[in-house]
Amino acid sequence: MAKREGSTTIDRRVFLKAAGVAAGTAGVVGVPAIVAAQKAPSFPKGTRLNILEWVSFVPASDVEFKRLAGEFGKLAGVDVTVDLINMNDLNPRIASAIETKAGPDIIMMISNWPHLYADGLADVDDLAEEIAKRDGAFYDHNRAVSVVDKRWKALPLCSVPSTWAYREDWFKEAGASKFPDTWDEWRKVGIALKKKGRPMGQAFGHSLGDPNNWAYSVTWGFGGAEIDESGKVAINSKGTLEAVKFTVAAWKDCLDEGGLAWDDSSNNRAYLAGTISATINGASIYFVAKRQFPDIVKVTNHGHMPKGPGGRFYAIGGQGRAVMKYSKNQQVAKEFLRWFMDRPQYDKWMAANDGYVVGPTPHWEKHALWEKDPKLAPFKESVKFGRVPGYPGPPNRKSSEALVKYILVDMYAQAIKGMKPEDAVKWAEGELKKAYA
Amino acid sequence: MAVRYGSPLRRAVTFHIPLGLLVCATLFPFYWMVITSIRPDRELYSVQSNPFFTLYPTVKHFQDLFELTMFARWAWNTLFIATVSTAISLFCGLLAGYALARLQFRWAAPLGTLIFVTYLVPPTLLFIPLGDVVQAFGLADTPWAVILTYPTFLIPFCTWLLLGYFKTIPKEIEECARIDGASRVQAMVRISFPLAVPGILSAGIFAFTLSWNEFLYALVFLSSPQQKTIPIGVFTELVRGDVFYWGPLMAGALLGSIPVAIVYSFFVEHYVTALTGAVKG
Amino acid sequence: MADHRIEPMLAESASPAAPAGAVPIAGPTHEVSRPTRLGLLLEREHVLAGVLLTPTLVILALFIAYPFVLGIWLAVSDKVVGRPGNFIGLDNFRVNLADTIFLRAFQNTFVYTFIATILKLALGMLAALLLNHHFRFKRVVRASMLLPWIVPTVLSTLAWQWMFDATFSVFNWVLLNAGVISTRILWLGDGTMAMGCLILVNVWRGMPFFAITLLAGLQTVNPDLHEAAEIDGANAWQRFWRVTFPLLKPIMLVVVLFSMIATFADFQLIYVLTRGGPYSSTHVFGTYAYEIAMRAAKLGQGASISLSLFPFLLLVIMFQLWYIRRHD
Repeated sequence: MAKREGSTTIDRRVFLKAAGVAAGTAGVVGVPAIVAAQKAPSFPKGTRLNILEWVSFVPASDVEFKRLAGEFGKLAGVDVTVDLINMNDLNPRIASAIETKAGPDIIMMISNWPHLYADGLADVDDLAEEIAKRDGAFYDHNRAVSVVDKRWKALPLCSVPSTWAYREDWFKEAGASKFPDTWDEWRKVGIALKKKGRPMGQAFGHSLGDPNNWAYSVTWGFGGAEIDESGKVAINSKGTLEAVKFTVAAWKDCLDEGGLAWDDSSNNRAYLAGTISATINGASIYFVAKRQFPDIVKVTNHGHMPKGPGGRFYAIGGQGRAVMKYSKNQQVAKEFLRWFMDRPQYDKWMAANDGYVVGPTPHWEKHALWEKDPKLAPFKESVKFGRVPGYPGPPNRKSSEALVKYILVDMYAQAIKGMKPEDAVKWAEGELKKAYA
Repeated sequence: MAVRYGSPLRRAVTFHIPLGLLVCATLFPFYWMVITSIRPDRELYSVQSNPFFTLYPTVKHFQDLFELTMFARWAWNTLFIATVSTAISLFCGLLAGYALARLQFRWAAPLGTLIFVTYLVPPTLLFIPLGDVVQAFGLADTPWAVILTYPTFLIPFCTWLLLGYFKTIPKEIEECARIDGASRVQAMVRISFPLAVPGILSAGIFAFTLSWNEFLYALVFLSSPQQKTIPIGVFTELVRGDVFYWGPLMAGALLGSIPVAIVYSFFVEHYVTALTGAVKG
Repeated sequence: MADHRIEPMLAESASPAAPAGAVPIAGPTHEVSRPTRLGLLLEREHVLAGVLLTPTLVILALFIAYPFVLGIWLAVSDKVVGRPGNFIGLDNFRVNLADTIFLRAFQNTFVYTFIATILKLALGMLAALLLNHHFRFKRVVRASMLLPWIVPTVLSTLAWQWMFDATFSVFNWVLLNAGVISTRILWLGDGTMAMGCLILVNVWRGMPFFAITLLAGLQTVNPDLHEAAEIDGANAWQRFWRVTFPLLKPIMLVVVLFSMIATFADFQLIYVLTRGGPYSSTHVFGTYAYEIAMRAAKLGQGASISLSLFPFLLLVIMFQLWYIRRHD
């Protein structure tokens, strides 16, 4: 990260101050600001910017992100460092940073974390509005998780959708020329597949991704929900009961029975080992298959979440980036985010992700890579049906607690294990009432 | 005690077979880890492949470990951190153990209990307020953040061990030295400490292992890749979302333990005789 | 004598023998000329004691006392990340008692600790008895038995996770191919079975520590005692219970004590292997407190769960100390 010579720095600072950008005020919208931002906003010598992100399952995107961070550093004369840790280990770091009021300047936010950590995050309304004006309004779910009490607490970055990865060849054998559209069709195909020793696979263990994808999609799909719009616990409904009964039946007829112990990675392994014929997952299965299992990738395609009487839904939380309130480098941070979310940069980062992230605004639906590989189309389209866990209630601290306790997932798991569906739903109701108390 | 009596059959049944079973049960997971670390990726994902051997061993995973991650650096960090925090804990434990065993003073009993009671406080409770302290001293993201916090769970055990050991050394030896003109401190340093060396060794092994192994504090207090320790680094870089890189993971596990075991084998004989002292009445 | 509260039960127990072999008297006497002021001060026991204890007390005060007090404050507050907390008395604890997952974690923690400790003790004892012989490769075997304890827990537990994996389990592979079972066993898919797996891994990891410590204890047992007992007609079993076991009790108790405390507070192993699942049936205090504090950002609640351990730990320790005192 090159440092600027003294005089040049001052000149630029003066210039930018006049343009109102370096002052960090609500940015000037439109081309001049973008051009100015790209042409190296610069900051006092020795300014550092520290960014904390998760370790992406697409290693190439980490590489690209670090490269872009370095590029920004050179342009702005800032020392940029990027720390990467596991998704699961972000929470203790964030908690510690907010409590001790020291740590990274920008931290990645997953799902509704902005609600959880709202008090420690700086407002980024100006940035968000600028980008929304330029690229089109943010998707609903991105917006829902990022706006707390009418203030933008994080800048939506992307979404990592999950869809059904499935074996086209085996589905054809079972009589399905394309991925089933409704849950009833899905069940018919599943029965045929399991009879042939090729069950589908679903996780019901305690990890944040795959288990919740089923739990929420199916619950909503049959018309159930944890809470209603006013925030009252509404899980004990006909819709939920139907969903649970459906799941218990599907467990016996269609699913691999190891699923109770599965975490997010188990279905990947099972699919690539050929023991299951379909599973809900992010694009990581496809990604690994492309590189290591060419014969599997040839027969793998992606299908949409089936529709139920209540509709078609995906549980999507999206990701964002937050500027920390304690940070002494908030201006730099915002400049970085502004620069990153803009054309050439975000373009390159999205390309490096090879289709595994979806942009936060409709603008990125037109990205070239979607044309390149039509098999990735369901990922792109899934955001239209995306809802945040806790929908239709507001996403807040309490829905986080429900997620953390895996109440919905455990409801299904216990029913599968033999608890009567009515009792399982009642149990979930009791737990949710405590969480939302 | 040598196996001196009994027929070969009896020896086999009462000794060789149980020992063999025990060794197998203990080391089986390591055997599996070794095979996994030299097995090509294709086989790792296949349900059919025999988990006990592979016909196509590869060193790629070990190469990946060193090339794709900063494993060598982490190994050095972990070694440095474990060594220094062990040294600190031994130093404190040695002095405290001696004081509690040998010296008479009013606060001996409550202080001894207090030191012991701190062992009861779980790290999962402590780490956030501890983060405050670390931050206040400006130690965040330096090895010193963990070097100074590890002794909190190492010192109690070291103190206990050395306390017991000192109690078995007869007071008369020190008293003789003092009669001969040595000061209390000199008697302590020149007489008692050398006799306690075996105890120091055993406490050292314990402390080193726990430091080597530690996860939570290292996760929260060390952030940049260059500062990470083996458990954090290997776990972080090779477990990406829902994709686990099993080959390098197991390679990392092996390289992160076998060297330590080799070093221990030289100390184990000492260690065994050391605790002898702590046990004898 | 100074401290009798925590003095190792070892000190006053059975064999009062002095260390074998003569210990040389202190080396060449020092010509102590004029004692310095400092030197005189350090002659006084309580001054020296103070000096010797200072490093320990400083580290513990800085890095435990303050955080611990803060932890207690957290447990009686409603603190969440980023907001200052307010005192709410015992509300957190009241909420815990009504929480089914907490109660399950409570039960699990005790079951896990007690069963694992008993097994570690038994197997460690067996291992120590076996390793107490002379045989070829003694050194290598003893050192290699330490490996489970040395390897970082996160990594070895990952290995176990795969060994138990529903699809890839090596145990299933063996049992299926040997015809012992016809459908695979879902090791971690059932609450009770998963607890069993956790205990198994904990025993595997912790047994070496017991073994090596007890081995040291065995080496102090005078072989003459065994010979005498044998001459008197006692068989191996009786010899063990009448001669060996009583002599080992002191060190056994101490090792059990430290091990139990560590197992009560165990976190890493369960976190990596099951994360508390399936359906929250394997949570222990450590993991549940972590999930609440970190993922729900409820620091106060999480602290209260962590602290729930404390009274029981104290009870366990007091019981053990009382038991030892009784037998002194």
